[in-house]
Amino acid sequence: MNDEPTVQHAPSGLARDSDFTTFMRKYQDMVFTTSARLVRNDAQAEDISQEVFIKAHEHFEMLSASPTAGGWLKTVATNLSLNHLQRYRKRWRFFSEMRSTDSSGEETPEVDFAAPDTFFEAMDSEERREWVEAALAKLPDHQRIPLVLYHFEDAPYDEIARRLGVSLAKVKTDILRARVALAKILSRGGASPHPQPN
Amino acid sequence: MSPNDTEKLEAAIHRALRSAPGRRAPASLEGRVLSELGRLSSLPWWRRSFAYWPLAARVVFFAGSAVAAAVVVNALVMVGLSTFAHDLAAGVGQRLAWISLARNVATEIGDKARLVIGAIPALWLYGAAGAVALCYATLAAIAAAAYRAFSFARRPAATS
Repeated sequence: MNDEPTVQHAPSGLARDSDFTTFMRKYQDMVFTTSARLVRNDAQAEDISQEVFIKAHEHFEMLSASPTAGGWLKTVATNLSLNHLQRYRKRWRFFSEMRSTDSSGEETPEVDFAAPDTFFEAMDSEERREWVEAALAKLPDHQRIPLVLYHFEDAPYDEIARRLGVSLAKVKTDILRARVALAKILSRGGASPHPQPN
Repeated sequence: MSPNDTEKLEAAIHRALRSAPGRRAPASLEGRVLSELGRLSSLPWWRRSFAYWPLAARVVFFAGSAVAAAVVVNALVMVGLSTFAHDLAAGVGQRLAWISLARNVATEIGDKARLVIGAIPALWLYGAAGAVALCYATLAAIAAAAYRAFSFARRPAATS
């Protein structure tokens, strides 16, 4: 997987003499968040974030003048996180994903949950973050990773399938199941004032 | 779930996820990156990433690699064509005569085994192969069940 996307240059980007520390302070939360959502481990996310900024430093001359520096960093963080996950996934996928490979068909999974209109109506942003993190942490990797890529990274289904090396049908099924599971978790935890399980 | 429900669920989940703010990076991250950059910058250029090598060094490296590859290929061709190579092959052949003997023995054993197997009814052989396959499948199933039982019992349950 190519970890380093192309960078668009533009005179309206960051000032060329920007200090790398300032640059890092501007983007470190975003990079760490991107990685932490995927690997679900703060220590590993910090290692990956460090690697991202080491790479960014190698290309700082380009990045400091680019309006797409944030996108570049996010893409590198995503790619490194996926590489990290796949490196370890190969060791245990035979047994741990045995059940999930059964769901690679085209059929839509049977779900019995009516979509709630809103979650977190009465929560502040910090509480929301904690609820979302706790709910995401309860999802298995094969559901959480495509869900994060779809909803946070705006990756289309086919790109997610390509990047994860699984079929398009499996990605769609896993994301749908993840949404249903997430809705149940959030509702059950009291995040929704009016949960509507069937 | 109807398509309408699916779309409503997607929209609700999207709103819920996107409304949550991001994490704050650990305070140690900045220091770790800067100290790693300091360590990398203190290394001499030839121990750093290729991207940091001086242009002249990179050009010399590529040219040197090409010349070295050409020399190795030419040397291999010349050695292969020389009388030395033939002498060497003959000498090695004498020293490795036991391999030929071992091959003859293996061939003899193989012939005898074919005779013995040919005398056994085919049904017995298929039965034995099936029994071995069944044992393997049973072992894999037991291992998978044990892994799931003991490993996933310690992980948060997936809700679906």
